[in-house]
Amino acid sequence: MRSKPLTGTSPPRSARSIFLTAALVLLFALPFVLLALLAVAPAWRFPAALPAAYSLRALRDLLAADNELLAGLGRSVLLASVVASVATASGFWLARAIARAARPGRWEALSYLPYALPPVLLAVLIQPFIIRLRLSGSVGGVLLGLLLIAVPFATLLLRSFWTQQAREYEQLARTLGCTPRQALWQVLLPLAWPLLRTALFQTFLLAWFDFGLTNLLSVGKVRTLTVQVFTYVGEANAQLAAVASLLLLLPPALLLWANKRALLRKAD
Amino acid sequence: MKKISFLLLTAAALLSGCGSASNKAHTPQQTLAQTWPQIEAAGRGQPVSMQMWMGDPLINQYMSTYVKPEVKRRFGVDLQISAAQGAGLAQTLAAEKEAGQPSQADLVWINGETFYQLRQVDALLGPFVEKLPNARLLDLQNPFINTDFQQPIAGMECPWGNVQMTFIYDSARVPNPPRSFAALPAFVKAHPGQFTIPNEFTGMTLLKSWMIALSGDPKLFQGKFDEAVYKKWSGELWKQINASRPYFWKQGQTFPEQLAPLHQLFANGEVAFTFSNNDAEVDNKVNQGVFPATARAYVPLPGTIQNSHYLGVVQGSQHPEAALLVINFLISPEAQLKKMDPNVWGDHTVLDLAALPAAQRQQFEQLPSRRYAPRRASIQGLALLEPDPEYMTRLFKDFRTYVIEAPVQ
Amino acid sequence: MLSKPRSSKLLLGLYGLLVAGLPLAGLCYALLGSLGLVGPLAAGFTGRYWRALGTDTGLLQAALFSLWVAGASLALAGGLALALVLGAQATLRRRPLPTLLYVPLLMPALVMGFYLFQLLSGAGWLSRLSFGLGLTPGVEGFPELVQDAAGVGIIMAHVLLLFPFFTLLFQAIYQESRLADYYQLAQTLGARPGQFRWRVAVPVLLRRAAPTLLLSGIATLGAYDIPLLLGRPYPQMLSVYIATRLQRFDLRELPAAYLAGFLVAVGLLGLILVLTRLTRRHAL
Repeated sequence: MRSKPLTGTSPPRSARSIFLTAALVLLFALPFVLLALLAVAPAWRFPAALPAAYSLRALRDLLAADNELLAGLGRSVLLASVVASVATASGFWLARAIARAARPGRWEALSYLPYALPPVLLAVLIQPFIIRLRLSGSVGGVLLGLLLIAVPFATLLLRSFWTQQAREYEQLARTLGCTPRQALWQVLLPLAWPLLRTALFQTFLLAWFDFGLTNLLSVGKVRTLTVQVFTYVGEANAQLAAVASLLLLLPPALLLWANKRALLRKAD
Repeated sequence: MKKISFLLLTAAALLSGCGSASNKAHTPQQTLAQTWPQIEAAGRGQPVSMQMWMGDPLINQYMSTYVKPEVKRRFGVDLQISAAQGAGLAQTLAAEKEAGQPSQADLVWINGETFYQLRQVDALLGPFVEKLPNARLLDLQNPFINTDFQQPIAGMECPWGNVQMTFIYDSARVPNPPRSFAALPAFVKAHPGQFTIPNEFTGMTLLKSWMIALSGDPKLFQGKFDEAVYKKWSGELWKQINASRPYFWKQGQTFPEQLAPLHQLFANGEVAFTFSNNDAEVDNKVNQGVFPATARAYVPLPGTIQNSHYLGVVQGSQHPEAALLVINFLISPEAQLKKMDPNVWGDHTVLDLAALPAAQRQQFEQLPSRRYAPRRASIQGLALLEPDPEYMTRLFKDFRTYVIEAPVQ
Repeated sequence: MLSKPRSSKLLLGLYGLLVAGLPLAGLCYALLGSLGLVGPLAAGFTGRYWRALGTDTGLLQAALFSLWVAGASLALAGGLALALVLGAQATLRRRPLPTLLYVPLLMPALVMGFYLFQLLSGAGWLSRLSFGLGLTPGVEGFPELVQDAAGVGIIMAHVLLLFPFFTLLFQAIYQESRLADYYQLAQTLGARPGQFRWRVAVPVLLRRAAPTLLLSGIATLGAYDIPLLLGRPYPQMLSVYIATRLQRFDLRELPAAYLAGFLVAVGLLGLILVLTRLTRRHAL
């Protein structure tokens, strides 16, 4: 974050501040601690507060079962990347088109439409058409379904970029002799980059986390990592489910580590 | 910009690589008119998409580490397994059929009400069972196998395994579980908070068994659905359950929606009972360390429902021949033997052991025996036939209306 | 590039087709399905599923329960976030807080549900600790925090997911709107800190964050994974209710499920429409 302390040097930490920080650290670290304990604890039951024995068997079993898990990881990464890039690129242009449209408010309201419906309900509603488009059971159908949520999301998010100011910058660049292409690459994209990055990350996560829509529209055939994790959670085996949950958290955690600022939707 | 879109297109093409449809278009009649060698030739090297319940790690392991590589090795069939069952499956297949599109599924694992629903919308291919070379080994004289929820299977689905519902309890915590349904209410009252009913398939099997026990006459529930019989005995059932409800887990104010969470509650010692539609499940759950080693299974008097589960071929299947090859393999003595091992799955075979050569029969008889579940021979006398599927759909609906949503008295 | 108005119009047209066309077509299909006109076992027009609505209070209960959960989650998460941003500015600007607040954003709802169940259920980790410390006599003595009648577990899960996000959002607005400068200005002019917070900071933060708060609220209304794991079979939240209706072991129930889906979709769209109008009027 751009932390600009009001005073030159920050004052010494108060007891209250230390307490608050510690409480938040505890709150957010606890899930990882508990999941990690569950992942290495076979047969850990009430009333034992700590596991009686530790074993990496679940982890080994999971990775050794077949390479389906790695294939799922690959599929998830690819699918989420495609959704993120397509949604962000189209959202960028759509936001501009909306900014120039006669009644931008209407298009904005429209953009809330698919986002308003719970994904499970949305999937149920569009399934008959996905089948008729011969996209059922294919990556194409899942892609269409996910884009249906991701594109309006990116559009709404990027809508705040196309202010009067951005349009003036574009005009100015053109007046100074830039071609539309140059104006785009040298003026608009650098200006919009922080917001674009946020849109990319958010839509990536949206596709990464999705289970209901992917599973229904693909008739269970596009086995992304999330779909596989659901299988393990459904098996009533806390240990396997914990391992799988950690696996699901890992890639976004890496993304966060790589670039935390992009994850937050900037205030419009 | 162009470069990026090219990359995206490539990625999309890569992603959808496996989704290509096959080019031949046989009608169901043409598919079934083929001889077995023709079916074998046509099915080789095709992919098969199988839809099944995937709620048990050992079953999933059996499928992915044994069946999948075997059918690949034998027929070059690429078996893809995905999770779908019951109403969701029926709904998807019905929607595909309504749209007049080929199905995304080839092979389905079904029984009872799903079989009934799929026949209602004419979504199954068949009759096909007599086409399978291994079908002659099936125990088709057995009423628990040749009839699925009072419906003759008529070659439209192939038996795969046979199971009986059991109560599972922790012998370390409950030395004397109720030995009959009649003793259950008193037991629940004496041990509050230890008992609940899962609001799903296994729970419904429990309710059916309980209702039949209340009536005292299993014959009442044979044949077509009888409204009067249902009304009378389900009414008695709700009366008895509602009277015991305050002594259920969480005072009967809520019920687990799935079997998996109930198993978890049991493993954690929060409840003393869980249930299984597979009489040998307790063994494989203990072997995995999910249940404590003191867990035991039994069948309360006067008995519980025994049923079979089946494999069906989807009518709009794009690879029906390959699906038939897979089914024929799944009912082979080899695959059935492997599946019956309590360390693998523990699913009882549907083969007629008398029809097998002596050496193979011996292999079945010498399987590692169950350690925590009752022997099959000892519970066969306590097996009840599945009633018409309507009893189950009605119980499921009414359990919600008269128990879950009704205030605790 | 897409600079001409015509291509702009084409783009918007395609967008409308995707974003409005497909869901609206789905809605029409659900409407026809609820009237017995389409669907696998459709037998011609019938109004009985609509008439049956009068006697079935399940949908209304689900809607009310969802509203309660969404409202409570939003209020608690928003309140917590406001308290942090207004009351702990110095702490928020120090390491490790900004990074720390991003962590919950990575949690899929499913994982959060699974985690809270393992933590808070009767045989969960907290119950084990309290048993070990002699605070509770066993599984029974531990308070019911998940699968409870009021939806406490569901609300907790949503608050945990939402409040860090809201805090980051409010913090970004706080900095962008130069509220710290205004604060100093207000102090110089003799205003008390409380006056500044309630009269200036809170309205600015809430107004500018309104669209995002609104989206989060709607998403919570339609939540599925968390209530599935932490909720009861009755009362249910809307998504779970519809999924349950769709998955009853009976295709004849499908029209009733279509009807429920249709009504929920129309209701949510109506709500969104009203709320976007309100926020736009106040936000821009």
